[in-house]
Amino acid sequence: MKVLVVMPARNEAASIAPVVADLFERGYEVVVVDDASTDETGERARRAGAVVLPMPVSFGIGGALRCGFRYAVEHGYDTVIQVDADGQHRPEDIAALLDAQQATGAHLVIGSRFAPGAGSYTVHGTRRMAMRLLSRLASRAAGTMLTDATSGLRAISEPLLSEFARSYTVHYMDSFEALIVAGRGRYTIAEVPVTMLERTSGRSSASPLAALAFLGRGFLVATARLGFPIRPASETVR
Amino acid sequence: MSPTVRQGLLIAVGGLALVGVVTTLARRRMISIRYAFGWLAIALLTIVAAAAASLVNPIARTFDMTGTAVFLAGATAILVAIAIQLSISVSGLQNQLRDLSEAHALLAERVEQLERRSELV
Repeated sequence: MKVLVVMPARNEAASIAPVVADLFERGYEVVVVDDASTDETGERARRAGAVVLPMPVSFGIGGALRCGFRYAVEHGYDTVIQVDADGQHRPEDIAALLDAQQATGAHLVIGSRFAPGAGSYTVHGTRRMAMRLLSRLASRAAGTMLTDATSGLRAISEPLLSEFARSYTVHYMDSFEALIVAGRGRYTIAEVPVTMLERTSGRSSASPLAALAFLGRGFLVATARLGFPIRPASETVR
Repeated sequence: MSPTVRQGLLIAVGGLALVGVVTTLARRRMISIRYAFGWLAIALLTIVAAAAASLVNPIARTFDMTGTAVFLAGATAILVAIAIQLSISVSGLQNQLRDLSEAHALLAERVEQLERRSELV
């Protein structure tokens, strides 16, 4: 299995170097997709050992991810681990994702913050309510119980990886849409408990109002079949 | 002068103003010829509609509306159609820009690797 860590990053100069260096020291190959940062994100990631893909225009996390997926497919990787650049994901959880991928053969393995055995991660109010509802919608589409539909720590394997490299959402909350689309396409999805750390810099952009907007969009994606198009597993899995 | 004729004159003035604005923008290269032709067609349609303002009254009576309401409904329908067409255009351009940005990022990385290798040699 040829594994690549893909890290979308926008203005994460304060945190990216130690995050990349830690992964690099553990033997992972890392690609940072620099989403048109206005700070030194790309340069610091490169110095820390990552390959950097400098996007000239920002398309958000979904846009950056598709670029990373394309790089992975073009360079013959068969599994991508998506990791946030803000230092909230623990490198040791990557091994758990890969183990689960090997054990289950799942095309998409989610690192869940809320599955039994996960570290403590507290979300309150409308955001938590929205996350629960989205997880229910994703579980229904995936045909399996999922507890964290918006996790940014995931393992994506072929042939789903090639589908995502060809077509992937540009909208925020891409992880939920990807789950819905993969579930509908009958790709296998699994989840493992992970521990989320505190942000080492910056702050989350999610507000109660934004959570409600995401919920509305997520509901539309799930019910009105508005997700991005991929070929179903029946056409791609050999 | 009847209210319908006065309304027709006002609409015609609006149509002519649109011709002036669009021509100026096209000459200054602020909109492309493609869109300028589209807007000039709308302006022409507006002037023709103004000349045929009296024809609106029978239509208005059929739908139990005023002549003004018929004009407004027609104008709104045209503007909505234009907005939808522009949304389609913008979405297509956004997809093309996304593809180009990704191609740029992937090529920039390849150039970087080649430069490093040539420095080593």
